[in-house]
Amino acid sequence: MTWLHHHRQAASGSLHRAMSLPVATLLTWLAVGITLALPASLLVILNNIEAATQNLSSPARFSVLLDTNASLDDANRLSQRIAARMDVADVVLVDRDQALAGFAADTGLQSLLSSLLENPLPHTILVNPRDDLNAEELVGLTRALESFGGVGEVVFDTLWQSRLASAVQLGRRLVFGIGLLMVLGAILILANTIRLAIEARRDEIVVIKLIGGGDAYARRPFLYTGLWSGMGGGLLGAAMTGLFFLYLSTPVDQLMQLYNSDQVFSGLGLMGVLAMMLFGGAIGLFSAWQAASVQLRELEPR
Amino acid sequence: MIEFDRVSKRFADHDALRDVSVNIDTGEMVFLTGHSGAGKSTFLRLLMLLERASMGTLRVDGRDTARVKGRDVGRYRGEFGIVFQDHQLLYDRSVLDNVALPLEIAGFHPRDIQRRTRAALDKVGLLGRERANPAILSGGEQQRVGIARAVVARPRFLIADEPTGNLDPQLSGEIMGLFEAFNRVGVTVIIASHDLALISRLRHRIVTLKAGRLVAGGGL
Repeated sequence: MTWLHHHRQAASGSLHRAMSLPVATLLTWLAVGITLALPASLLVILNNIEAATQNLSSPARFSVLLDTNASLDDANRLSQRIAARMDVADVVLVDRDQALAGFAADTGLQSLLSSLLENPLPHTILVNPRDDLNAEELVGLTRALESFGGVGEVVFDTLWQSRLASAVQLGRRLVFGIGLLMVLGAILILANTIRLAIEARRDEIVVIKLIGGGDAYARRPFLYTGLWSGMGGGLLGAAMTGLFFLYLSTPVDQLMQLYNSDQVFSGLGLMGVLAMMLFGGAIGLFSAWQAASVQLRELEPR
Repeated sequence: MIEFDRVSKRFADHDALRDVSVNIDTGEMVFLTGHSGAGKSTFLRLLMLLERASMGTLRVDGRDTARVKGRDVGRYRGEFGIVFQDHQLLYDRSVLDNVALPLEIAGFHPRDIQRRTRAALDKVGLLGRERANPAILSGGEQQRVGIARAVVARPRFLIADEPTGNLDPQLSGEIMGLFEAFNRVGVTVIIASHDLALISRLRHRIVTLKAGRLVAGGGL
C-alpha cells in the first residue's frame, strides 16, 4: 500500500512538474521524438517495400523448352495442359520449325542453317504466369512445369527477385544500425535531462536523504520523469512518422499503380503508435535509472 | 538507549572524535557542547549514520550501527527527527508540504498526513501559516517549521545541531521550550549547542567535548 502510494505520488508529481514547464518538456519530447521517428520511418518504408514486392505484378515469362524428340502434337497437348492451370494467364506455342526460320531471318544465316541435317531447336512453350503471383508461387509454378513429361528445361529469370531480396535485407541491416545509433542518442538525451533535473533538485534530495528517504525514494520521481519523457517522445515520434507518410503517400500510390499493384501504402497504425510510446518509455526508464543511480551515488549524504 | 563506546572518527588530516564513551538513556534530554571543532557535529553525524566510526562501537537500542546496511540507512534515519541550524527547508514548497515530507517518505495516507501535519504545526504555534512559503517567514518561524518537520512522524530521537544559532535570546528560549515539551512526552532529545548561557539555565545533562575528546558529562 505504502509502495503503491509512493509510486502514485511520484508519478503524478513528476507529470505535474513536466507540465508546469511546457517549453522545456516539449523540447525534450521533440528531441527524443526525432531520434525515434527516423528509424521508425525507415522500418515502415522497408515493410512497405517488402509487402509491395510480395504482390508486385510480375513481368516474368517462362520459356518451357521441350525435349528435341517431342512432336508438335505432344507440344500442343502439353501447351493445353499448361494453359489450363489456375496460375497461368496464357501460353504461346513456338513451333521448332517456325523458330528456326525466324532465327534464320533475324540473323541472315539462312544458307548456313539450311545446311544443317536436323533442326537443333526444340518446340518451346512461352508461359505467362498470372499477374498476382508472388515469388514463392512463381517458384512453385517453375517446379510444376519442370515436372511435366517431355519438358527438357524451364528457363525463368529470378535474378531480379534475388537482388531485391538482398537489397531489402541490406536495408534491414541499415535500419537496425541507424536505429541503434538513434536509440543511443535518445538515451543520452534523456540521461542528460535527468541529470539536469537531479542537479536542479539537489537540495531537496539532500533533505530527503537526511530525514530518512532512501535512494529508492529519491530516485523514484526521476524514473517517472524519464518514463514520461520517453513516452512523450515516442508519441511525438509516431506523429512525425505519420506526417512523413502522409507526405509520401500520394507519389508512392501513383508509383504502385504504374506497377499495376493494388498495394496500400501503410503507416504505423495504432499498434505502431503504442509500440513507439512503450519503446520510448522503456528507453526513458533505462536512461533515468542509469543517470539517477550515478548521480545519487555521488550525492552526499549517502 | 544510545551508547558511544570508545568511538573515534578519523578524517584524512585530523581526529574529529577520540575515544568517546557516552550513554544517553531513552527519554533523556542532553546538551552537547564545546567550541567550534570540538566534535559536536561529528558526534551527531555518526549518530545519523552520515559518517561511520573509525574505531569503537555505537549502539542504538542495543543495535550496533556498524551493521546497518546501506539500503537500511533510510529506515534507520527515519527513527530520528533532525533540526538544522540553517533549517534545510525546501523553498519551492509550502510550510505544510515541508512538514509533511517525513510522512510522505514513511508512506502515510494523505488524510493522515494532513491531520498529523496540522497537529505538528499547532504544537509549534504555526497553524494558520501552513499555506505560506517558508521564505517569507522569520528565522524563528522557519526554525519552528524545521522542528515541526522533525517531530511530525513521532520519532523516538530528536536531534538538533545548533538550533538556536541564528536566533535572538528570546526566540532561542522559546525554541528550547519546544524541545523540552517534546522531551516531556518521552522523546530522547540531543541538542548540540555552544550557547552555554542558554543551556546552563536548563536543567539537563551537558556533555562537553574538547578537541574531539569527552571532558565532561559522559554519564558512564
